[in-house]
Order: sequence, then C-alpha cells, then structure tokens
Amino acid sequence: MATAEAQIHPAVQRSLLVGYRLPLRRFLIGSVIGHVALFGAISAATYFQLGPRIDLNQQPIKASLVRLGKPPDPKLLPRIQPQQEAQKPPEPEPRKPEQPKAVAPTPEPKAVSIGPTPKKPPEQSPADRRKQLLTALNRTSRSTGSKTAQQIEEMEGQLDGDPNGDSATQEGERYYGLLKAQVQRNYDVSQTIPEQERLHLKARVIVLIGRTGEVLKVQLASSSGNTLFDGSVLAAVKKASPFAPPPDHLRDALQRRGIALEFRP
Amino acid sequence: MSGLGWFLVAAVAEAQVPVLEISGANFRPMPLAVAAPQAQDPKAKVKAAEFDVTLLFDLSASGIFQVLDRKSFLADRNEGVTASSINFARWANVGADGLVKTELSSEGDLLRADLHFFTVGTGKEQFKLTHSTPERDVRKLAHILADGVYRGLTREPGPFQSHLAYVRKTAQGKEVYVSDWDGKNGQVMNSGGPNVLNVLPALLPDGSGVAFTTYRTGKPMIFVQRFGSPAAPLVKSDHMATGIAFSPDGKRIAYSLASAESTQIWVAQADGSGPKQLTDTPYFINTSPSWAPDGKRIAFVSNQGGSPQIYVMNTDGSGVRRLTFQGNYNQTPDWSPRGDLIAFTARDERRAFDLFTVNVDTGKITRLTQDQGDNEEPAFSPNGRLIIFSSGRTGTSRLFVMSSDGSNQLPLPMESGTYSTPDWGR
Repeated sequence: MATAEAQIHPAVQRSLLVGYRLPLRRFLIGSVIGHVALFGAISAATYFQLGPRIDLNQQPIKASLVRLGKPPDPKLLPRIQPQQEAQKPPEPEPRKPEQPKAVAPTPEPKAVSIGPTPKKPPEQSPADRRKQLLTALNRTSRSTGSKTAQQIEEMEGQLDGDPNGDSATQEGERYYGLLKAQVQRNYDVSQTIPEQERLHLKARVIVLIGRTGEVLKVQLASSSGNTLFDGSVLAAVKKASPFAPPPDHLRDALQRRGIALEFRP
Repeated sequence: MSGLGWFLVAAVAEAQVPVLEISGANFRPMPLAVAAPQAQDPKAKVKAAEFDVTLLFDLSASGIFQVLDRKSFLADRNEGVTASSINFARWANVGADGLVKTELSSEGDLLRADLHFFTVGTGKEQFKLTHSTPERDVRKLAHILADGVYRGLTREPGPFQSHLAYVRKTAQGKEVYVSDWDGKNGQVMNSGGPNVLNVLPALLPDGSGVAFTTYRTGKPMIFVQRFGSPAAPLVKSDHMATGIAFSPDGKRIAYSLASAESTQIWVAQADGSGPKQLTDTPYFINTSPSWAPDGKRIAFVSNQGGSPQIYVMNTDGSGVRRLTFQGNYNQTPDWSPRGDLIAFTARDERRAFDLFTVNVDTGKITRLTQDQGDNEEPAFSPNGRLIIFSSGRTGTSRLFVMSSDGSNQLPLPMESGTYSTPDWGR
C-alpha cells in the first residue's frame, strides 16, 4: 500500500476526489471521550453545588444608593458634626417620683416640693402592673432590635425538639445579653470620680429577679471602696428594672440565687 | 429575710451564680442641688446672697457638676443640714445625686460658713467644710468652699481662688485689669496715661503682679507691675517687644522682638537679664510664646511654612517642630498645665475665629467652639480643666469659661464692657 500511495502523482494527491486513509476513528473516539468528560464535570459541579447557593428563605436585603460625599479636605479644620453634638451629656431626666407630687399644679416652671413625704403610696392595680411589665418587655426588645420577648416565650420547649437540644442554653445567653444591655444603658457614673481612681474601681452586685422580671432585691456584694461609684452601679440596676421575664429554666435560679453583676468603669 | 441572713445566703450562693461583667460607664456631670445658704443671724443674712451667687457660679462652671435650677424644686426651708433631718427621697426625685447645704454665721468681724456635701443615693454626708473670712471677703469665702468641694470629690485642686488678668477697652484706651477668676473684684493696673494701649497681660507665677505690653512710649514695650508698686520696663531693647510669657517656675520669660524685617522669639531671666534669641528665621514672624508645664519646651506661632501655624521647640531653640497642618491662620497658643494639649485660635474656611486644641503628641486637632460668633484667645485654668476665652457672640467681646473639651460654655459674671486677651494664673 505504501508503495502504491507513493506512486500517486502529486497533483492527484491534492484532489478531494481521491479517498485517503485518515485517523478518523481515533479522532472520533477522542472527541466522544472529551465531550463525555466535559458533561460529567458540569454535572458533578452542578450536583455538588460549587456555584453560589441560593437560599430561598433569604429575606430581601434592602439597599439604597447614597451620594458619595466629597471627602473632607485634610487641610481644613474639623467641624463638630451634629452626631457629636448629640453625644454631649443630655439633661438628666428627673427620676420618676415614687410618691405623688405634693404641689399645686403650676404651669412654668414645674416645681417639686422638697417637703414632708405624703403618707402612703397608692396601691398598684393589676392593670397597672400588666402595663408596667409590657413596658419593660418593649424596652428590652427595642434595645436589641432582635426578637420580641413574646417570641422568646414561644421558643421555650418545642414539641418536635431534641432532648439533647441546646436551645435552652442559647435562650439563657440571650436573656443575659438583654439584661446586660439594659443595665449598661443606664450605667451613668459621676464625672466627679477622680481619674486615677477610675482604673481600680470594681463593684459586684447581686440581683434577684422575680418571675415577671421585677427586681426583688439588689445588694452590693463587693464594694468598690468609692461610695459614689457604688451608688452609681446600684442606681444603674434600679433604673434598668424591670427586666423581661426570665425563661423557664432560669426562673428559680434567678429568683433564689440571682445573678452577679460585676461593674468596672 | 434579714439583711445579714440575705447577705450570707448571697455569699454562699455567689460562687454558683452567673457573673455578667459590665463596663463602659457613661461619665456625666453630677446632677447637684445647691440649697440656698441658711443665715444664722442678721449680719450673715446680709452677705448670704453674694455668697450664694458666687458659690453657685463656681460650681456651675466647674464642669463636673450639672447644677440643678432651683426653680425645678422648692426647698423646705425648715429642713436641716444634718443627714438625719434631710428627706433624701425628695432630692432624688428632682434628679439630684449630690446635695450642698450651707450655714452662714457671724463671729465678730468674721463670716463663717459650714458647708455639708451629701450623696443623695446613700443619704450620707460625704464631707463637711468650715471656713471663716473677714466679712468683706465673702466672695473669697465662697471661692474657698467651692475649691474645697472640687478637691473633696476629685482630689484635684480647684481653680476658684486663682486670678485673671485681662484687657478692658475704655474711653481712655485699653487697660489691664487683674481680678478674681470669675472677673469680679477687678483692679486696674497703671495705664501710663490717657489714650495708651496696654495689651497681652501675663500674671506673674507667684501672683505678685502682672506683666504686659504697653504702647506708652509710642513703640510696644514690656512692662511689669507688682501690686503696690509702679509699672517698670522689664525688657530693655531697641526693638519692639510684645507678648510676654513666664515659665511655670517663674524664673524665665519668653517674648517676641520685632525688627523691620522679622520677628523672633527670645528668652531671658525673669528680671529681663541675659536675653537669648531662640528662633532665627529671617523675613518670617515668630511670636506668641507659651511655656510647657515642665518648662522644657515652648509653643509659638510662626509663618515660616507660608501661613501662621503652631510650632513647638526646646527652650534652647533646638528641635523646632510644626504641630498644626490644618487651617491656614492658627495663633495664640496656650499650653495646658496638664501638658497634653495646646489650645489655640484658628480662622476656619468660613472666616470665623474659633477655638481648638491640638494634642502635643499626636497632633490631633479638636474643635471647641463653633457657630457662635468669633471666639479667641484661650487661657487654661491652673488645673488645666477649664478655659477662659473672649467671645463676640453677644455683640461685644466678652469673657467666657468652658470645660477643656468645649462643653458648658458660660459668660463670666462681669459688668458690661469690652474685654479681651485673658490670662489665667494662680
């Protein structure tokens, strides 16, 4: 054969009308294998979800376009921004009187008599009590922006839950987190405390919390040695109360043993 | 359960209870109720109002208190000055954390004050101060007690017995005054005759007098005047001498000497002897020296970088370092006695003069005043916690006081007039 092919005239060799023996079979086999491999790879990639996972439960993400401001000129002097102004110490709110005001209603300015204490505070009605607790719940939920206290209640023990589930622990941690945030917001300390003393101040307070979140008792377990600071941490707990009702598994412990709050400036 | 029983239970159980650590306190001025002083006799009653207004202003300006408006509460005049006789719940209800009660009484020619400071939260007397002064010094008595309250709480010296020097513009020119820290009891210093300008006063560190720049001979010169003595030249030079500053130990002075082509900073002994030139930048202006509290560095203004900026250097003239790079018109530096900050006046891009501080170590600039007229010439209090400055926010230039972070800006209770260039010394 090789002799016969070699005898073909070169002009005839270039003609398309002449049949040749080409490595067609090998080409076809290679092509099929290549396509199968490519298809397999794509299928595998799809199967194992190498691409971005689409979470159908994903909540919509709200985005808004804001104008990209001109960057501040580093050579210009700083200006006090409105936010900074807002950070200045606000006027302290007068505390809610424990007793009814004993003064005649005068329009301006509002005066509170520093006179003898009225004899007996009024009894709280059940409706008032409920309102107070609801206010505490709302305060807690607003402070964190997370789930409401009602949702926390609903999460206690799911029917289809696992006996080894740790949701109670998480729930407890969440409760302590809310409690801590609530106290921290009311943690105001007097500027009169000397700076050099601030480094060493530490006070521990034990707080007993009732079933509905009310503070049953707050006691200084360990004094800082500075009466002003001690007063501030006690006031922080009192101002922060009432708290949200504790979860079931913490109720007894918080009512009997309480929780320790360790304050540092 | 009794208190002891509960405590024991708590102590045993404490090891088992969860512990939450809470930090990041919000430090705020203490809401303070200052009851009107109770005069024990007719002579004390005459002085009570002046004592009261002086003490109230000191405590209000201190920066550590938020003194409650008396209109927000009606004090029971029969309430005593002992812890057992005070209804603390009522004071707590008006928002007070601290309570000041004072008794005034006469002892011959002396006026005696007994001040009680109570912590409302605990219902306890934290401390008591007693002091007497001659009746005519009732303001001084109030300043002494205000300092006592400041020190009793912060363990730092208060600034209320210190003195102020300033310039008052009158029909006769500009005159230097020395007064109590709040601008009261002002004494005019020797003006050198009618229509003479006397400016840029600096109190002597020992409190014995004041030095100032005066134009009484036509060209600016630096004079010193001790109380009870006539004014005399302090810096002897053919050049124009301005802007004196005493070192904290009072042993040296720094000032500017201006020639036809430049202004340079010099130092000398406190009596003017041994002058030595510190800056040497021909054709540029170096002025307004202010000593660091350790006496080892001097802050000053120089335009050697093209615009007036705040610089610092060692007191031998070495180690010159530019401190401000923001703004293009920074002047009148005053180094805080605490050492960390230099307050200065700057003209911002809106062409308003305002007050700033620059951190000496980091160079960070913080604005203290804004959008309230022109505010200039800051002067730190001797304890570095307050700043007195001149402000045109009310139409004429008046003196104001504020905390060193720019908060709590209050006008000094001075009679109407035009005031400028305060210097706050001992």
